[in-house]
Order: sequence, then structure tokens, then C-alpha cells
Amino acid sequence: MKWKKQNSLFKILFLAAPFIYFSGHAQNSTDKKSISLGIAYYASSNNAVYLMANAKTKIEGKFQPVKGVAVSIYLDKDSTGYLIGKSLTDAHGLVKAVIPPALQAAWNAAPSHTFFAKTEEGALYEAASAEAKITKSKIVLDTVSSGEVHTVIISALAFNGNEWVPIPGLELKAGVGRSVGSILAFTDKDAFTTDSTGKVSIEITKTNFPGDDKGNMLLVAKMEENDQYGSLLVEKKVPWGLAVQTDDNFFSQRALWATRFRTPIWLLVMAYSIVAGVWGTIIYLVMQLIKIKKLGKQVEN
Amino acid sequence: VEKSNHIENEKIINDLLPQAFGRRGKIWTGVLVSICLLGLFAYYRQLRYGLVVTHMRDYASWGIYISNFVFFVAISLVGSLITAVFRLADVKWATPLTRIAEIIAVSAIVFASLIIIVDMGRPERFVYLFMYGRIQSPIMWDVIVISTYFCISLLLLYMPLLPDLKILLRFKEKSGKWLHKLYRFQGSFWKGTAEQFRISERSITILCIAIIPVAFSIHTVTSWLFATTYRPGWDSTNFGAYFISGAFLVGAGGVVVAMYMFRRFYHLEKYITELHFDKMGKIVVLLALLYLYFNINEYMVPAFKMKKAEEGHLLELFTGDFALMFWFAITTGLIIPIVTLLFKKGRRPLPMFVIGILVVVGAWFKRYLIVTPTLLNPFLPMQEVPAGYHHYFPSWEEWAIAMATLAGALLVITFFARIYPIIPIQETLTEQHEMEETKQSV
Repeated sequence: MKWKKQNSLFKILFLAAPFIYFSGHAQNSTDKKSISLGIAYYASSNNAVYLMANAKTKIEGKFQPVKGVAVSIYLDKDSTGYLIGKSLTDAHGLVKAVIPPALQAAWNAAPSHTFFAKTEEGALYEAASAEAKITKSKIVLDTVSSGEVHTVIISALAFNGNEWVPIPGLELKAGVGRSVGSILAFTDKDAFTTDSTGKVSIEITKTNFPGDDKGNMLLVAKMEENDQYGSLLVEKKVPWGLAVQTDDNFFSQRALWATRFRTPIWLLVMAYSIVAGVWGTIIYLVMQLIKIKKLGKQVEN
Repeated sequence: VEKSNHIENEKIINDLLPQAFGRRGKIWTGVLVSICLLGLFAYYRQLRYGLVVTHMRDYASWGIYISNFVFFVAISLVGSLITAVFRLADVKWATPLTRIAEIIAVSAIVFASLIIIVDMGRPERFVYLFMYGRIQSPIMWDVIVISTYFCISLLLLYMPLLPDLKILLRFKEKSGKWLHKLYRFQGSFWKGTAEQFRISERSITILCIAIIPVAFSIHTVTSWLFATTYRPGWDSTNFGAYFISGAFLVGAGGVVVAMYMFRRFYHLEKYITELHFDKMGKIVVLLALLYLYFNINEYMVPAFKMKKAEEGHLLELFTGDFALMFWFAITTGLIIPIVTLLFKKGRRPLPMFVIGILVVVGAWFKRYLIVTPTLLNPFLPMQEVPAGYHHYFPSWEEWAIAMATLAGALLVITFFARIYPIIPIQETLTEQHEMEETKQSV
């Protein structure tokens, strides 16, 4: 009787095993987080082209970057022969890739391309993919000077397969580049829209932009995260700024924070006169001690 | 009269001559030596494996070593109080306490210097302070002022000892061969001539005048190590006075403990009387009240404003992780001494001894509270650091080294009292003589 009971218990367990396994497996897959993957196209000075993929996931209602996930980036087709690069995301969830020489011919062959980004399913995250279609474009930055007045002419052009054609109605930003990466507006605004000829003309009347020690300043024009053209940036150095001389004397001044060879005079005088005064007294007292010793020897003799 | 005076003098000399260790003295010395040896072993480990054997990390980079350093500097100030201030003020009753105070000062300043070298981790780099030191840095001021104070304290210990060395040389058989040689080396030139006395008295007066500003500087500069750093709890213009008042208190507490021990174990009841305890009790209560005043200033004013940046630090002290230690230090180091010593019965030897210990122990913890909680409450939040960096509790090596330095200081005092008279013999004789002359003239 007892054996029969045990036997039926084993049967139940045997039949239930696949369900237990699959329910456990299902539980594991529901534990995996989904990744929100994005890919963007960047071009700097119209020739340095690169792609940036970013991976993030939702934690406690907020998107957080995902570190250490392998992202593959492809040109036009998500197959091995079209692989631009594969890399792990950094602490900011980013992967940067440039078009390798092997794909340069494919890149030059067409005016428009589609980029694919993919992540495989891993222990923690589900598989994810993203794509971005861009049309090749460029920004041309020209300058015209007439006395004190300088004009910046920005042209936005797209490649149609045969030639570069103007892009009308395109939103651009322009200004003076700053060392921290932002731009200083030429006038009261820093955003402009191209006209029907794909151009923006900005007259600069302001003359007091700070430049380097020779008065050179950096003109910057950029297009940011455009759905059709991506992000483009061009720069041009012009001698329109004020020459700003770095104050080298700042580090050579005598200060409390300076090196020991640049101690403030007042501190040197104060510290060393105190030290000299006190140690002078100590030396005097030691001499008195020697005097006492000599007196003792005289008495002995 | 002369004969009875001579007998009286010989009795005083005999009472005050250094005595060989008895059984208790040997046990005491053995315990101190054992603690020192354990500390040496811990220091060997620190040298061998680096400062990683301590629990000091990026934030709590000053721990028990620096607390100990501040404690030693504080207690060393007593030399200037008892010896210099009382001498200059012609306070006669303090004569038996001067040498006790001076040896406490010298031993404390020696171990203050040593514990700083221990804290450096790389002792061979100590010389860099002199090779590359910047006079703009308060750390450099501390190095200068500590070495200066050590030299002055040593002179102030040595000069009044010269007449006593002459007396000690008379007792070759009692002192033994080696000690006799030492006494000869140190004081055989002292013949007790009027000229020698004149130069010696004048030099001691100059020393007493010189040591007071140097003593004030030593602890003010130590306080500036903290106050010149912009940190919660340290950013105070009051720190110099706050540290000096605390130093005088712990120094006086230390002298009271030493007075009791020497009186009891060297049978010096005739020389360190209840009157001395009563007077020292009044000094301790005055200093405790003064230190309480500075404490109220240091804690109440920032707590009243409760600036956001200081809030974490203050609440940690008042009600947080350090609250138990904080209130213990305030109670034992200030409240109990004030309440007890205001009454005459509390100023008797045994209660004074207990209060002295409480003051010293409270003061040690107070130094720990000044150093560490501030470091654990930086202005910028602690981010992306291991959990252990948020807390600090010394490792066994740190405890062993810190305790070894305390034991070392006590050992120096113990050996000094074994070799030299802990109460100045010549000065006691002179005072006795003066008293009798006064009596006769009256």
C-alpha cells in the first residue's frame, strides 16, 4: 500500500517535470529586461563620419544607460559582410563605430544608406535592434568681410547621386565655438533656417568676441539630430576675435597656494623672524649652559 | 640649629631620592613594555604591508593616529602651565609638581612626533618635509614649532635638574655604577657656586618666558591644521583658543593622575599634600569651565544655524553614530569634573585621581571626535565608493600602535622617575630654608 502511494507520487512528479522546467524557464525569460536601442549618424567637417549606438533600459521608471552589452552595427544589411563594427557599450551605454575601409566602396556607391544596430539576447537583457536611414549631406561655411562687418554664409547641401543640391528649410545652429563645446551666438539668436537656395546669411556686427592670443576665433555651424541627414558639424577659424593674452604672471605670483619658491614675502619675514628669535634664545641658553660648565671646571681646577 | 637643619635636609634628600622598582613597579614596567612590543609588531606589519593594514581609506584619511597626535600635543602643554606660568607668578606651592609636569610635556611631545611619522606610512619620507617643505603650509609650521617646543622643554627639564644631580652624585652606592656615571656625565660640572646659580636662575626665567608663546603656538598651529581646512566642524575662527583651553585641561588632569601615583607609590605624602590636590582641583575646575564655554561656542552656534553642509556632521555627533562617544566625552571630560570639583570633598586625593583619569580619557575621545567624524562628512557626497569608506573604526594594528605610544609615554615618565628625583630636591630644600627663615624673622 505504502509502495503504491510512493509510486503514484513519482508518476505525478515525472509528468509535472516538463511543466516545472518550462515554467521556471518562462520565469527566467520574464526576468530579462528589454533594451531600448538607438543609432545615430554623425559627420564632422563633412568627412569624419561615425555612428553612435546607445543602449538604455528602464529602471524604476527611469531610463538608465546599459553598460557592457555587445552592439553590432551594419551598413544597409544586417548580415556579416556588412558589419561596420561590434563593441561593448561603455558606462554611458554608448558604442562608437567608423565605417571600415572594406565598406568604403559600398558607402560611396549610394546617396542614401540605412544603418542597423543589433544586440543579441543575453543573460540579463532581451535582444534589441534599431535602424536609421540617412541621406548624405554637407554644410559649407563661407565668409565675406567688408571692413568691420563680417558675413557668414552657410550652405546646406544634399547628395542626390550625381551632384550636391541645396536643402531649403533646414534648421541649423551657428555661432562662435567655445572651448567647452557650446557655441556663443553671433547675434541675439543661434538657430537659423535655410532659404529656398539652401543658404543662411548672417551678418556679424559684434566685434568683441574673445579669440586666442592672435585673435583667431572658431566659427561653428551644425545640424543636430535631423531625421533625414543626422548630425553634421563644420568649423572654420577666422581672425575676427579680440586677441586675449593669457596671464602667465598669475602662476608666478607670490601666494599662499604657490610653490615654496614663491612664498609671500610677509610670510617669509614673519615666519623666519619668529624662528630666528626663538632659536636665537635657545642657542643663547645653550651657551649659558656651556658657561655654567666652564665655571664648574674652573672651580675644580 | 644648624645640626637639626642638616638632619632635616638629609631626611628630605633621602625621601626624594629616586627609588628602585619594587614588585609593583616591575609589573607596571613589564605591562608597558609588553604593550610597546605589541605596538612595534603592529608597526612592523604596517611597514611590511603598507597603510592598508589600517582602516583609514580615501575619506577617513586621518584616524586614531592623528587623534593621538592631537592628544599628545594637548597634554604636553601642561609643562608650560605648571612650570613656566607658576614659576613666573611665584606660585610656591607648585614646586613639587614642576618636574612631573615637565617630564609629561617632554614624553608627550616625543610621542606626538613619533605618531606623526607612523601616520605618514613611509617614514623615510619624513626628511622631505625639511627638503621640500613649504613655509605656507600649517603642517610645516607644526614641524617647526614641535621641534622648538621639544628643545625648550628639554632645557627646562634639564636646567633645574643640575643642582639635584650634584646631590645624586653623593649617593654612588645607592644609585649604582651606571646611574652614577650618567649623573657624572650630565651634572658633574655643577658646583653650586653663586655665579652658577645666578646664570641658571636667569636662564630658567628666560626659558619660562620663551616657553609660553611657543606652547601656545604649538597647539594653536595644531588647531590650524584643521581650521585652515574648509570642512564641517573644523571651519572655525575659534579653534586656537578652543584647543588651548582643552589642552590645559587635559594637561592638568594628567598632572593630577601622576601626582596621585607618585605620592602613593613613592610615599611622597609629605611633599605632595592634600593642599596640592585641593589647589590643582580648583585649577582643573576652572579649566573645565573654560573648556565647556568653548565647547558650547563650537557646537551650539553651528547647531543653532544648522547649515545644510554641517547638519550631517552635527547630527552624527549629537544623535547619530558618534553620539555615545560624544556625550561620554562631554560628561566624563567636563560635566563630572565640574560638578565634583566644585566641592571641597571632591578635591581630595582619591576623587581627584578618579577625576584626573576621567578628564584624560574624555580628552582622548574628544580628540578622536574632532578628527574623524568631520572626515566622514565631506561637503561633496560620497559616491561610487566601497561601503567601508563610509565608516571608520581603527584596525587592531592602529589600536596597538596608538596604545603603544601611550604606553611609551608612560614608560618614559616611569624610567625618568626611576633615574631622577621626581620632586626637585634642591628647590624643596631652598624653600624649606626660606620658610624657616621667615618663621624665625616673624
